[in-house]
Amino acid sequence: MPQLQKRFEVEPRDFVRAGEASLQVQRMLRAIGFEEDIIRRASVCAYEAEMNIVMYGGKGEVVLTINPDEIELQVNDDGPGIEDIGAALQEGFSTASAEYREMGFGAGMGLPNIKKNADSLDIRSGGSHGTRLKIVFYFTGEPR
Amino acid sequence: MKNQSPSSTIPIQYVEIDEARCNGCVLCMKACPTKALRVHEGRVAQVVGTCVDCGECIRVCPRGAIRAVTTCPEDLDKAKYSVVSAATVLYSQFGEDVAPNDILLGLKGMGFSYVHDQSYTNEMFSVAIELYIQENRKKEHTPWPLISPVCPVVVRLIAARFPELLHHILPLSAPREIVAREAKLRLSLKHGCDESDIKTLHISPCPAKMICITDPLFHTHSYIDAAIGISDIYCGLKKSIKEVDEDKVLHHSGGIGLGWGLSGGEISGIQMNCLAVSGLQDTINYLEKIDMGRFSNIDYIEFRACAEGCLGGLFTVADKYQAKRYLQQLVRMYGVERRVKYEYVRKLYENGWFFAEKTRYAEQPALTKKALSERIERQKRVEKILARLPKKECGHCGSPDCATFAQDVVEGRASLDDCLFSRSKGTKQVKSKEKR
Repeated sequence: MPQLQKRFEVEPRDFVRAGEASLQVQRMLRAIGFEEDIIRRASVCAYEAEMNIVMYGGKGEVVLTINPDEIELQVNDDGPGIEDIGAALQEGFSTASAEYREMGFGAGMGLPNIKKNADSLDIRSGGSHGTRLKIVFYFTGEPR
Repeated sequence: MKNQSPSSTIPIQYVEIDEARCNGCVLCMKACPTKALRVHEGRVAQVVGTCVDCGECIRVCPRGAIRAVTTCPEDLDKAKYSVVSAATVLYSQFGEDVAPNDILLGLKGMGFSYVHDQSYTNEMFSVAIELYIQENRKKEHTPWPLISPVCPVVVRLIAARFPELLHHILPLSAPREIVAREAKLRLSLKHGCDESDIKTLHISPCPAKMICITDPLFHTHSYIDAAIGISDIYCGLKKSIKEVDEDKVLHHSGGIGLGWGLSGGEISGIQMNCLAVSGLQDTINYLEKIDMGRFSNIDYIEFRACAEGCLGGLFTVADKYQAKRYLQQLVRMYGVERRVKYEYVRKLYENGWFFAEKTRYAEQPALTKKALSERIERQKRVEKILARLPKKECGHCGSPDCATFAQDVVEGRASLDDCLFSRSKGTKQVKSKEKR
């Protein structure tokens, strides 16, 4: 079974390069020629997850795994983790500092947006493990 | 065809390469935003895939080996092309002493029966944009931000590289099209003839506006019959302006419509949350970001492929920054208060006056799992080759960068031996083996 894997590193607080990993994810999916809808949903999720690492996480990575029937985004970081996952999934909930809000971030739409666009989302966070997101998109060959 | 990615189906037709002048340098290939150019056999640039007619290759070629092909016949029959309309950039091309009205009279003096000022329609169009935003902000399924339909390079770029974003393009006809449509309608009524007997000519700052006449791409029909570059008509028009002795008023617009040649001109009359982005690289960057769901809080983005807007078009004559100053002066002189009647424009809008008859979206062929498996396999081969390449991005192999080269190798357009670095590495290895 064909499987293609690419790993992109994400540096916390590096706002100059922020968005680069998700751009690479988008370009890779486009180079393969996935359907536009799935490319878009995957890029939105990759971007939101990447920005979460940049803003709140520690050293992190985005691992893209491509199979003919699914695209998986594994987003890991060794930051402090999410205190209350249930609350973080609520639209508008945010722990962003005033500074981030001034930069136009921290609207509390990150995780809700990922949940909305993904076909499956698994969040593990807390303790010394940092945060691990597993975001999956299924390709069924039929319109969603 | 089988090797092309699904979206690259727009053929290149309007860029001509002069083989005798081309020395096979890599500048055009490096500049191409869709990676459509290749340099093979050390001399001639060849074309693979999709051209969006941005003209970057023409701009960077130091030898003048690349030219834009015009759609205008050489022996232009001005009596036959009875209507002429010009992009407002034209008003910036003759210095500060020449007013828009002089230029319109000059055009008339050249033998065109009817001369239309596009800037007034521009201002009406900006009201229509506002009305569209107001109407659709409440609706759930409108994609945000909306993208301006005015710059044809941007529309073609979206069709070629970001087909999903075609839905973001405002479904209104560009003002140049509305001017041509209305002129045909009114003059055919006036003369009691068929609309097809009225020929319209557009004076354009760039090759892309010529191309969208024969291949409208997003809007499926064009009312403009031919286009000519500002540079093609410049000398004749300059002479004609000097000889003007009429004092008829042909120009009616205010500064809002006149400023359209500037980056930010289109949105200057819109009281909404708008951005103006210009230059090809920034345009691509922003389209990529919109594709990631960003900027959905913005209502409308005016994109211009040329830096500084249409002033930077390939067919403009005057110095770009001086022309910018003249246009800014004109905007100040004619004032930025709205001159069109809002209620009148709203009625036109409600009657569908601004809407494009039909818009064309990307049709994606259904993708099967089998086809997808093959594509993933192919990409794996690309990645494998790419891992062996030096990533110096030198272009010596004839492909614009290492990633595209790897793709070309997999698709049979290039051979791994074309890479200077992997070749020399190969010989070194052979030599060291021989020593042993």
